[in-house]
Amino acid sequence: MSDFLLENEAARRLIQTLGLPVPVPARLRRAKGPWEERPLHDDIVAVGGTTGAAATAVLAQTLTAAGATPWLTRDDHVAVFAEPGEAFGRPAKRVDLEALPDGAKLRGLVFDATNLSDPAELHALYSFFHPLVARLSSCGRAIVIGRPPASFESAHSAAAHAALEGFVRSLAKELGRRGSTAEVLYVERGAEARLAAPLRFLLSARSAFVSGQPLTITNEVKAPKDLRWVRPLAGKVALVTGAARGIGAMTAELLSAEGAHVVCLDRPADDALVSQVARQVGGSVALVDLGTPEAPTQIVDHLRQHHGGVDVVVHNAGITRDKTLAKMKREYWDQAIEVNLGVAIRSTAALLEGTLRDEGRIVCLSSVAGLAGNLGQTNYAASKAGIAGYVRKLAKHVAGRGITINAIAPGFIETRLTAAIPVMIREAGRRLSNLGQGGLPRDVGEAIAFLSSPGAVGCNGQVLRVCGGALIGA
Amino acid sequence: MAKFTKAPAGRRAVVVAGVRTPFVKAFAEFLKLDTIALGDATVKALLQRTQIDRDVIDAIVWGGVILPGLAPNVAREIALDLKLPAHVEGHTVTRACASGLQAVTSAVAGIERGEFDVAIAGGSDSTSNAELKLPQKVVHALAPLAFGKATPKDYLGVVSQLVPLSEVLPKMPKIAERTTGQVMGESAEGMARRNEISREAQDEFAVRSHHRAAAAIASGRLRREVASVETPEGKTVTADTIVRADTSVEKLAKLRPVFAKDGTVTAGNASALTDGAAAVLLMSEEKAKQLGLTPLAFFRSWAYTGVDPADQLLLGPALAMPMALDRAGLSLADMDLVDMHEAFAAQVLSVVKMLGSDAFAKTRLGRDRAVGEIDPAKLNIFGGSVALGHPFGATGARMVMTMANELHDTGKRYALLGICAAGGLGAGAVLERA
Repeated sequence: MSDFLLENEAARRLIQTLGLPVPVPARLRRAKGPWEERPLHDDIVAVGGTTGAAATAVLAQTLTAAGATPWLTRDDHVAVFAEPGEAFGRPAKRVDLEALPDGAKLRGLVFDATNLSDPAELHALYSFFHPLVARLSSCGRAIVIGRPPASFESAHSAAAHAALEGFVRSLAKELGRRGSTAEVLYVERGAEARLAAPLRFLLSARSAFVSGQPLTITNEVKAPKDLRWVRPLAGKVALVTGAARGIGAMTAELLSAEGAHVVCLDRPADDALVSQVARQVGGSVALVDLGTPEAPTQIVDHLRQHHGGVDVVVHNAGITRDKTLAKMKREYWDQAIEVNLGVAIRSTAALLEGTLRDEGRIVCLSSVAGLAGNLGQTNYAASKAGIAGYVRKLAKHVAGRGITINAIAPGFIETRLTAAIPVMIREAGRRLSNLGQGGLPRDVGEAIAFLSSPGAVGCNGQVLRVCGGALIGA
Repeated sequence: MAKFTKAPAGRRAVVVAGVRTPFVKAFAEFLKLDTIALGDATVKALLQRTQIDRDVIDAIVWGGVILPGLAPNVAREIALDLKLPAHVEGHTVTRACASGLQAVTSAVAGIERGEFDVAIAGGSDSTSNAELKLPQKVVHALAPLAFGKATPKDYLGVVSQLVPLSEVLPKMPKIAERTTGQVMGESAEGMARRNEISREAQDEFAVRSHHRAAAAIASGRLRREVASVETPEGKTVTADTIVRADTSVEKLAKLRPVFAKDGTVTAGNASALTDGAAAVLLMSEEKAKQLGLTPLAFFRSWAYTGVDPADQLLLGPALAMPMALDRAGLSLADMDLVDMHEAFAAQVLSVVKMLGSDAFAKTRLGRDRAVGEIDPAKLNIFGGSVALGHPFGATGARMVMTMANELHDTGKRYALLGICAAGGLGAGAVLERA
């Protein structure tokens, strides 16, 4: 689990000095500790947009409350930013894109393109980002806000908004070398207020390994009563399966840091490990073998008996049984499909029968392998692609109760699983992302914590990749 | 001595008198007077002026920021130094720059709860006598020598632990936040920038503070609240030394910013390090009547709260003052006087701006409309800490004394107090004429 190019300072310097054709990945800025009131404290964020764009008021409120110092590139934004700027002591600065003030590096660039109606207007993207990208700090963030292309009657408009995705995917590749990322937020009409939580997450250091992503923000789930930025999960019960190690253990830690009581679930054989995790996070243990048919009932019974229900469910447990299809044994196929997909579906169904409380959050673990395919992983990829299909469809059914269900698709994450990959393939996997490195379990956990929070109500039925922009994963 | 086991409902504590030492620039006339000696001086003067029977005093409640390490309960030391009856107990409170007000409100709470009938409350600080702190490494290394019979080998062992030298030299005390490491002036600088308070506005405010204080001293209005102090060298200090009647915006404009190259906070628009003390005499209303003393004012309400010190360190009063108003059931418009501690002109102006901001009220206070504009004619009518100086623990009691006297003298009804403090603390209080 060690990345030579990140950890060996001498090697980094040598490669840079000799100008070797090896890209030296940036050391990613990651958040420490629980969510803050002001995740963007003193960060400069430039704001641009097309005329009459709809998300600007939410941007003004969100950025200033989060502690950012806004740089405005449009005159008509000045009035919008005046009030929240005054309230939070973040007076907006109007800057001229042609003559940017010297010195200061920007932490974020946000462009509100919600009002785009024709591909000709895409030029505004160029005008805003072209002079600013060079001023973006390392581990900076670029975010474009558009409308879901399918929401338009006009094919012109759909084209313009679909273009945003190609733009950020490519920008993400361009910025990745310096640890920066780019994403597009597609916000439905009327759902603008729900941008706050995704913006705070994506602009902060918590989204270190999320890159080149479209994320859609909808109105379909009713807003939670209680919205807090600090300790958003206080008083909630969270179930994390596969909590003994890796991503699961990290997720348990992060959810507990946000105030949740975490029920750490793993196999009876991993009692010692999972108990240690539970003790560390002040949670409790549920020993369930997910390979047995009774597993869903056992989970439901445990949660009802000890906690009277559950608010957050993270289906993290998963297995790999890799072989090329020609050589794969029948058990390999069955086990992977059953544990990764079957159990998640059946226990979700069981939990929805009165155990998962209203305004609950379900997060399933998919995989980039499931989205892109991977050699030797027909079984695994099928199960993980199945998860993606499952959350997309189930989202519509649970929305009425204020519940959301989403999936996270990790790419190359430095865990026990990836450490077992042969070295050459492992190196390739690492370097093939925009960020030129593998992610950490923390990166996945942060994304899970985001989707588990009340503020993420606008995200439902989504698959959020935490892959650094890679197309290989385990 | 108080005989109550439980205070009758509605019992009120009243301010009957107050006095302070001259406020003197640190490392000057009061160099040889530590915080206890300053406390002794002011309480002694209070006793002389009021001629109160020492037997009726129940307690001293004292506020301080830089407390003497070997005798941190300054209140009790004052009682013992002044040979007050043994039953006059004492406790010392610390709440950064709100310590003086804290001492007063603690004593008021004690009286209204029935714990005391009569209490002296106040505070003092002597920046001149701040103790240099040895690094903990040195303390731990020296412990074997201090607590046992050391052999020469032990001495050598200690020496070997004390390298490198840079880690064992005493640290200069500075007014920096423990959690953020930021010096308070830098915080004020940040607030000036973030709330768009110009250098000119700060300098104008500072000049007004000096001019008002100087005029009030010249007229005798403030002078009567000050008791002269005799120093160990035999000199008598009779007047405040920081206030400048002859300062002007032009003069202050020449000063260089201290905390940032392109900054706006200067020595001229900030409060100076000061030595001094202030005290007030508090008692229950019945007791005042019984003793034939005239109540000046009582506390209608008070409030303490906090903001994140990493954000705007000194913005606390913008939250605490509205809280105090709410608790009093009054609005800013009802206030005849507003007295705010002036740590920095930038901080006072930031708070004043936020109290007048609809946007701040909506987002930060959950109100529909701004708390209100403060008429400059009502705000710090005799100047404030920028002109008078700011012995940390004394400022709160000074403000209570001056406002209580003013309400009584003029027949005005309400005064609102506001104090910012390290750690992001804010204090507010509403005084009403008795």
